[in-house]
Amino acid sequence: MGNEIVIKANSVKKKYDDNFALDGIDLEVISGQILGFIGPNGAGKSTFLQSVLGLINTEGNLEVLGLDPRKDRHKLLKEVCYITDVAVLPKWMTVNQVLQYVDGVHPSFNLEKCLTILSRTNIKRSSKVRVLSRGMMVQLHLSIVMAIDAKLLVLDEPTLGLDLVYRKEFYSQLIEDYYDGDKTILISTHQVEEIEGVLSDAVFMNQGRVVLHDSIESINKKFLELRPNQDFIEKAKSLRPIHQRLELGREVLLFEDTEIDKLSNLGEVRPPFIADLFMAIMDKTKKEIEA
Amino acid sequence: MITILFTMIRREIQEHKLAFIYAPFIVALVLCLVIISVYLGLTDIQTTTFNFSTELYDEEFQEDMLQATPESKTAVIRAGLTVLGLPILLTVGFGLLAYSLSTFADERKDRSLIFWRSLPVSDLTTVMSKLIFVVIVIPLLVVPNLFLLQLISLLSVSVYFVTNDIVSFGYVWTSYLISDWFRIIFSLWAQALWSLPILLWLMLAGTYFKKPVIGAIVPLVALVVLEGIIFKANNIQEFIENRLGFWSRSDSFPIEYAEARVVDISDIYLLLTTQAFWIGILASVVLIAGIVYTRSTNNDYTVE
Repeated sequence: MGNEIVIKANSVKKKYDDNFALDGIDLEVISGQILGFIGPNGAGKSTFLQSVLGLINTEGNLEVLGLDPRKDRHKLLKEVCYITDVAVLPKWMTVNQVLQYVDGVHPSFNLEKCLTILSRTNIKRSSKVRVLSRGMMVQLHLSIVMAIDAKLLVLDEPTLGLDLVYRKEFYSQLIEDYYDGDKTILISTHQVEEIEGVLSDAVFMNQGRVVLHDSIESINKKFLELRPNQDFIEKAKSLRPIHQRLELGREVLLFEDTEIDKLSNLGEVRPPFIADLFMAIMDKTKKEIEA
Repeated sequence: MITILFTMIRREIQEHKLAFIYAPFIVALVLCLVIISVYLGLTDIQTTTFNFSTELYDEEFQEDMLQATPESKTAVIRAGLTVLGLPILLTVGFGLLAYSLSTFADERKDRSLIFWRSLPVSDLTTVMSKLIFVVIVIPLLVVPNLFLLQLISLLSVSVYFVTNDIVSFGYVWTSYLISDWFRIIFSLWAQALWSLPILLWLMLAGTYFKKPVIGAIVPLVALVVLEGIIFKANNIQEFIENRLGFWSRSDSFPIEYAEARVVDISDIYLLLTTQAFWIGILASVVLIAGIVYTRSTNNDYTVE
């Protein structure tokens, strides 16, 4: 893994009417990270990713690969690729025409590599994009992106509307054929469980703010989930879990910065799923605000 | 930069081949068939103001033809060929208006704007590529059809003349100027620059309004009405009418130019010296800035 700073955000804000879509985002992303943006609708994930791409203007300081995305968008896009929605490829074009176009305008696009990737699919180069299924469009878009030697890849709900098979294929192709340890990938999706094994880092967002930003490794050390045996439920609760819920009638307690030795005698201990941790953090944040 | 522009213009041609390659070619083919049919005596076109039939070529007409000076022969042939080409130019003209209105609206409607903007091409480059397409490339796509029509017309009439012992086969060819091809190209380029403010206004409407057709028309109508009420003037209406018409017949030219005549290269020089032309260019620059700004900031993809 490298240690080059890819994104540096300080007090990034974006206001729509009276609402802050981004309310002072401070974030640093290092090269090689696969960062998942997790949050409910309206949390500001897409807004932040759009600001990273220079698609919207924001207040505060934002640097992407040393450039100001608001001023140097087209320069930045030589190093950054993004897929925001799979159905945005121009439908009147043939696959060949799309590839010719990208080849003509993108200095880092490798047509031969793209054709090799495409040859593994059922997509015909003479087909119009409009006749491709949604899954095939994903494959085409991903083939294009994978053939671009970019430093940063931004995926904003890339698999929205796809069936499970294509979603799985998308991420496995991304990791096996694209990610090389130096590239940085930002992913925003609601299907958290599908990217959980892929992420190196996670950013939880709510109401335009970052509520948690940490590596998965650190999260797994910091947070532990305990399913206490019946006899130890009260003892476990006395250790002040940050969140508790019922799962199939069984208590599940989430602990932060609690030694595993203290918990392992009380029941089954394991790192939480990202989705469960996210729900717990949201709940905790809500309670803190109410308090 | 040249490669990028070339790629983007090729993309425009691919997307709009129906309007600017197929449609004018089909119109040219139909016109060629009509012309051939007329000289074969299969049909004729006779209205109160227009007569296109072989009945024209009686003995008196033949006498006039034999006595005509080279200059008058050239003038008649030029005028005839210009009139014949009008349906092709009108077809492309309507295509241009539709293109200008839809080119930025369609990319919002099908959300392909997101894809185009995910590539390292600035909004200014995109707008400039469409401008080059409109001003330079479309006229070049149109002229082969005009030349085809001219050649078929001259060939048909020559064969008719020689088979009916009216004049020799080479009669019309000696007065047909190949240099006119350049005159036509330059004239079309001048037309595109002359009408550019209207075309760019339509493009701006496409980048901004949810309903581009209404958005393009309503503000202009409102301005015309307001100008009439407040200033008792109709400059805006005249500006629009002028720009939609042929540049060589606009108000900025001397009154004698308003008569039906074939424009010459010297007329283009005259156009470049008129204030109206440069006002149009200035308005175009402002509109280009507006399109670039709106395209880069408008995240509303709902277009009806």
